[in-house]
Amino acid sequence: MQPYLSRRKWLEQSAGGFGGLALGAMMQGESLAREEAVSQIIHHPPKVKRVVQLFMAGAASSLDMFDFKPALVKHHGEPSDFGEKVEAFQNGLGPWMKSPWEFQAYGECGKQLSSIVSELGSCVDDMAFVHNMIGKTGVHSSATYLQATGFQTPGFPGAGCWISYALGSENENLPTFVVLPDHRGFASNGPKNWDSAFLPALHQGTTIFPGTDPPIQDLFPQNRRFTTTQGDAEGQNLLEVLNREHMNERAGDSRLEARIRSYELAAKMQLAAPEALDLRDEPSYLLEQYGVPEDPREYPAEINPEEEAEYFGRKCLVARRLLERGVRFVQIWSGNDNGFPRRNWDSHENIKRDHGPLASGMARGASALIRDLKQRGMLEDTLILWTTEFGRMPSSQGGSGRDHNPFCFTNWLCGGGIRGGVSVGPSDQWGFKPLDREHPTTVYDIHATIMHLLGIDHQRLTVRHNGIDRRLTDVHGRVMKEILA
Amino acid sequence: MTHSNIKRRSLLAVVLTTFISLLNGDSTAAPQSVTKPGEDWTIISRILQQHCVACHNHETREGGLSLSTGAEFLQGGDEGSVYDAEHPLQSRFLEVVTPVDGVAEMPYEKAPLSQLEREELKRWLSKGALWPEDVILEVGPVSDTDWWSWQPVSRPGIPISASDSRWPRHAIDTFILAKLQDEELTPSDEASAEHRIRRVYFDLIGLPPSAEEIQEFAADTDPRAFEKLVDRLLASPRYGERWGRHWLDVVHYGDTHGYDKDKPRPNAWPYRDYVIRSFNQDRPAAEFVAQQLAGDVLPTDDPESVLGTGFIAAGPWDFIGQVEVPESKIDGKIARHLDRDDMVRTTLESFCSITVGCARCHHHKFDPISQADYYQLQAVFAAVDRADRPFDLDPAVVDQRRDVENRMAAWQKRNDQLEQEIGRKYGASVNDIEKEIDQLLTPADEAKPEFGFHSEIAKTPKQEKWVQLDLGEVRAVSKVQLVGCHDTYANIGAGFGFPVRFRIELSNDANFKEGVRVVVARTDRDFLNPGVVPIAFSFETSPAQYVRVTATQLAERANDYIFALAELQVWDEKNQLISSGSKVTSLDSIEAPERWSRANLIDGYWYGSWLEEELQVKLRQLALNRTERWEKISQSPLHRQKLELQSEYERLEKEKSAIPAPQMVYAGTTKFSPQGNFKATQGKPRTIHVLNRGNVLSPGEQVHPGPVTSLGDLGIAFGGAEQHDESDARVALASWITHADNPLFWRSMANRVWVYHFGRGLVDSPNDFGRMGQLPSHPQLLDWLASELRDSGGSIKRLHRMICTSSTYQQSSRYRERAVAVDGSNRWYWRMNRRRLEAEAIRDATLAAAGRLDLKMYGPGFQDFVIEKPEHSPHYEYHLFDPSNPSSHRRAVYRFIVRSQQQPFMTTLDCADPSMQVDKRNETITPQQSLALLNNAFMLEMASEFAEDIQQTSGNPESEVEQLYLRALGRFPTEDEVRTIVPYMRQHGLENVCRLVFNLNEFLFVD
Repeated sequence: MQPYLSRRKWLEQSAGGFGGLALGAMMQGESLAREEAVSQIIHHPPKVKRVVQLFMAGAASSLDMFDFKPALVKHHGEPSDFGEKVEAFQNGLGPWMKSPWEFQAYGECGKQLSSIVSELGSCVDDMAFVHNMIGKTGVHSSATYLQATGFQTPGFPGAGCWISYALGSENENLPTFVVLPDHRGFASNGPKNWDSAFLPALHQGTTIFPGTDPPIQDLFPQNRRFTTTQGDAEGQNLLEVLNREHMNERAGDSRLEARIRSYELAAKMQLAAPEALDLRDEPSYLLEQYGVPEDPREYPAEINPEEEAEYFGRKCLVARRLLERGVRFVQIWSGNDNGFPRRNWDSHENIKRDHGPLASGMARGASALIRDLKQRGMLEDTLILWTTEFGRMPSSQGGSGRDHNPFCFTNWLCGGGIRGGVSVGPSDQWGFKPLDREHPTTVYDIHATIMHLLGIDHQRLTVRHNGIDRRLTDVHGRVMKEILA
Repeated sequence: MTHSNIKRRSLLAVVLTTFISLLNGDSTAAPQSVTKPGEDWTIISRILQQHCVACHNHETREGGLSLSTGAEFLQGGDEGSVYDAEHPLQSRFLEVVTPVDGVAEMPYEKAPLSQLEREELKRWLSKGALWPEDVILEVGPVSDTDWWSWQPVSRPGIPISASDSRWPRHAIDTFILAKLQDEELTPSDEASAEHRIRRVYFDLIGLPPSAEEIQEFAADTDPRAFEKLVDRLLASPRYGERWGRHWLDVVHYGDTHGYDKDKPRPNAWPYRDYVIRSFNQDRPAAEFVAQQLAGDVLPTDDPESVLGTGFIAAGPWDFIGQVEVPESKIDGKIARHLDRDDMVRTTLESFCSITVGCARCHHHKFDPISQADYYQLQAVFAAVDRADRPFDLDPAVVDQRRDVENRMAAWQKRNDQLEQEIGRKYGASVNDIEKEIDQLLTPADEAKPEFGFHSEIAKTPKQEKWVQLDLGEVRAVSKVQLVGCHDTYANIGAGFGFPVRFRIELSNDANFKEGVRVVVARTDRDFLNPGVVPIAFSFETSPAQYVRVTATQLAERANDYIFALAELQVWDEKNQLISSGSKVTSLDSIEAPERWSRANLIDGYWYGSWLEEELQVKLRQLALNRTERWEKISQSPLHRQKLELQSEYERLEKEKSAIPAPQMVYAGTTKFSPQGNFKATQGKPRTIHVLNRGNVLSPGEQVHPGPVTSLGDLGIAFGGAEQHDESDARVALASWITHADNPLFWRSMANRVWVYHFGRGLVDSPNDFGRMGQLPSHPQLLDWLASELRDSGGSIKRLHRMICTSSTYQQSSRYRERAVAVDGSNRWYWRMNRRRLEAEAIRDATLAAAGRLDLKMYGPGFQDFVIEKPEHSPHYEYHLFDPSNPSSHRRAVYRFIVRSQQQPFMTTLDCADPSMQVDKRNETITPQQSLALLNNAFMLEMASEFAEDIQQTSGNPESEVEQLYLRALGRFPTEDEVRTIVPYMRQHGLENVCRLVFNLNEFLFVD
């Protein structure tokens, strides 16, 4: 019935989860034994091979970027009236507030974008906007979990972990799922957003901080007191000799062999990762497009567009290099937790102050990435998803900010298998809720669609944990045919 | 029941009615409907529910079709409409259930519907397929209890076929051997002494034996040598540290809250210590359960009992959802609902190995657990929250505290009486007037988060802080008005920071050195806090450029003191407001716009400034009344009595504070100090309803504490009443779980013990004995172990002793080709499993080999990270920690466990995730693991300290290798090994060799 399911699935069911020793051994042996083909769980021919997820932490306002609302321009400053009782997170139900930025039509599709994301204007004909996303909660932590893992409580694998689990790596020298956090720190929930939870640790997102030493935890000794490159290389050989001797007396345990292999792979990763992160061979014009200066630059203490562009652009450029080298899933974060001064999208006080620099920086990097992938012919089998925790209210909070709006927000997708230049699921005239409240879009639909494009039936990729066959899409999810090419 | 009645009732109620009426087959109870479906609806809905809805409902939508509602039925599925209104008998719906050659398309892979049922469907379809508008068909609960784990535990006889073999040492082996013989397998030889001692050391205490211990054991010819060794290890305090950690995996213990912000939980560790001590003392299993669920309310002299309730609080907790969002909001409700969900799931999965959590949104699909069962269990925890609560371990202190608290209660009574008397004599109390003021100010839709000016924080109240206005030029000043702040954070409310004593001065000198005129002096007694009502002071007109307000006694905050004002206004003799454009300066200020800033002081906005003049007048009048009333009361003799009582209270407080301060434990509790919107129930249970689809906005019928119905109540009363005693409910649940006739608990416990000894369970899904879990490989052995545990007073150590001394356990782990061909996964235990060490054991063994392991027990966990930005969302920076710091050289069980940012080194080694209930660790092998073991700062530091130690005792490279092997692996190196290693050591140093040894498979695996 499931012709593409590997023997992994069969083993898993007979051994009862990943703890089963035999399975643990065989599966790891499998993923480490490259003589065999990568074991994949694919249900139909895929359209895309890899995914980039751009995650805006703190909840980005679609009304100020992608979802133009003429009614807000017309009724700006008038007392807001939602026609129902509204429960806002911080009671931010002041007068209607138009976006502080002008909107303008772009591309053949004539998509309206605000001036802070005008850089994306050149890409809109390749992008599909979904304006009727809804969440379940206006609490950052739960909402971040929901968008990142499909569940609003901790303890579930990130979307990238599931993809890694299903498809494995195209390149054994680099991790399958890479996370590029905001350079200022982690968003709500920290690394739990990309934790493998009940999936094997191999599938957990590997955090990379480009430009720091080492960029990957423990890639090299942090402090070379007695270690040398030569000593490490010779040490690995010696280790293999000793481990083989030990193994020879213990036939039939594939884990022992797998551990020996894991040191070879580690050594390869030590070579591959720094090369993948080294931007020195990128041409100047491309660096410029991504907003990355060739020489280190000093920035003022206040949040500013150039700095945001550099940090986000650098991550986008690194993402492209990782994708080229076979990484399956790259997650890029913009914004960290709710510290002071604000350095994320949670603009309760002042949309203009935070969204301006964050959005223009994001748009610069994202558009450079889309164009760069396209120019290299990679966009056709790469999928880009832009998402956030939830949206922001069309009413004002304290005159210039916006409160949380879990009832409506925007996602956009771009790349392989995606129909470009469309906007689906319109929001109502204010952008308060979906226009058709009966048929909103949820994160389950987005995940189902991504998996569909990767060749995975989201209902059939399951893992049993504590008695439940868990799915990334829980018991929901619909493939969004309307945005498929 | 009329039609409008139905509409008003919740959907769920209708569903339940439908369902119940269907079960009873009582057609008169079927709901009337808008669309008048006719009497055959009852039969139809029964058919749909019985045969179709399991696959075709809202959630599953097989083939795109849902039969949950009439609308969805009409909508059809992926292949289009299933109902043809014009030719009902040609409907696709009828076609698929009509058998051809005895086989029908639907129900899928099941027996076709009966002739009679098909006739009913035909009739219904041809009459227009009417479906009551409000009815949602749901899958009914599973009622079939014919499943192994639901059957009573019966003590099986010992298999006879095996008893004649010489291999079995005792009962366990006979069960194992019987199965092996069934599979035509034979057990393996006994492992070598060296392998057995290393195995049992890591297994029971999580540490390696020393080389001397190995040699001594290998030389011991006593036939009881291994039994003696097992007894010695079980008596070691290290045993509780090892096995306590296993239990902490199951209950998902952590030292931070998790979720957003992930704040530290500084008092979680006493529960961790309780668990360690419980294992070391071999606390009986039933008592262990009871104390964890209800240790705070058990009639016991055991002062440790209360610590057990750390179990209820062990999992994550949503700070934002509980503290910042009130229970009245949807997000607040969700947070509290999910918090109880964690308590219920943790309890039933940990103790009973059933997944009741599935029944939060719908009846359990596979096991006989209904949604009502699930919410009955939530009701057991309806009064408890996770919070710090005090405890005393010294019985004398317990008595002392009880005594003072009793006297305080008596004092409270007298005080209440006096208050009443004052009320009778002087009419409305100050409080009543304040209530009126509050009413006038709410709802506060216009409130802005601009609170006012806020000085820096002082440690003591008696110091002066000032704020002043520069009017720009000398003006004729005749009136000053002060307004207090209103802080919305955590319900702090009105009057925040208003000075207790103060003075107002005028001057033409910005520094108030010369020509200072004091126009208002309220410095000799306390000023009644005016809340947010403006307080004006008029005085003789005086020319001045500067107006200064000096707080001479600061207002109390939590444990410190501040001065805050929302507004400071100045008028001239013509009653013109002259302060609007002033420049504000102050001694100090916390500038945190928009909430706090000097600029707020003159912006004309304060909490209540939006009220119309008429209401402003009323507000001021009320404030005046309040002051007058206060003046009157404060002069009366009753007030003097009150003051005396007050000082008596202070004496009691003093007495109380002289008692050694109680320790705190983070636990499940009904009493704690409130924090924002997070308030204690004081033991009054919250009302619990069945939630339709788990949605807090769709409450159904109310439920009361109760067990999983299909297992019976075992004669235990859960209270059940509207106002049940919450402590009784928790005790009842514990009694029900540990009841001798509860088939789940004893099996669950015995199986858990087996899992950690063998790396696989007799039931290999230790948290799920339901239909989605694994079947027991040795059901009789499991029941035998369960009844041994139950009937011997619940001693876990006794169970260990039986298992460890069995022949099964002492087998070699050697590969045997023929056996592998039959049973590659060793399901029948023809050999012992070779185990990779867990993260904790690797870390502990590394410290032990390096000679750095600190065996200090108990107390706050060590932190192997640096916390940055603790004030908001703490950043746990592991890479900044110096691993040579000896504070971190304790056993890993004493590690401070962060939820959001898990220890990367430990996580790479498959350490348990404290956000989920872990019944079995994963065992993975990854390149990242190799990198961590090679390069992590901790491993490098230990390699270097190990080398340092060895160099002090050894002389030449050969003896250094020997030392190294003895300490890390417990054996002498072979000549070959020495020959291979020494040249590398000569070139790259001993540290690098130590580092390699930590990476050997031999170091990480136990044969």
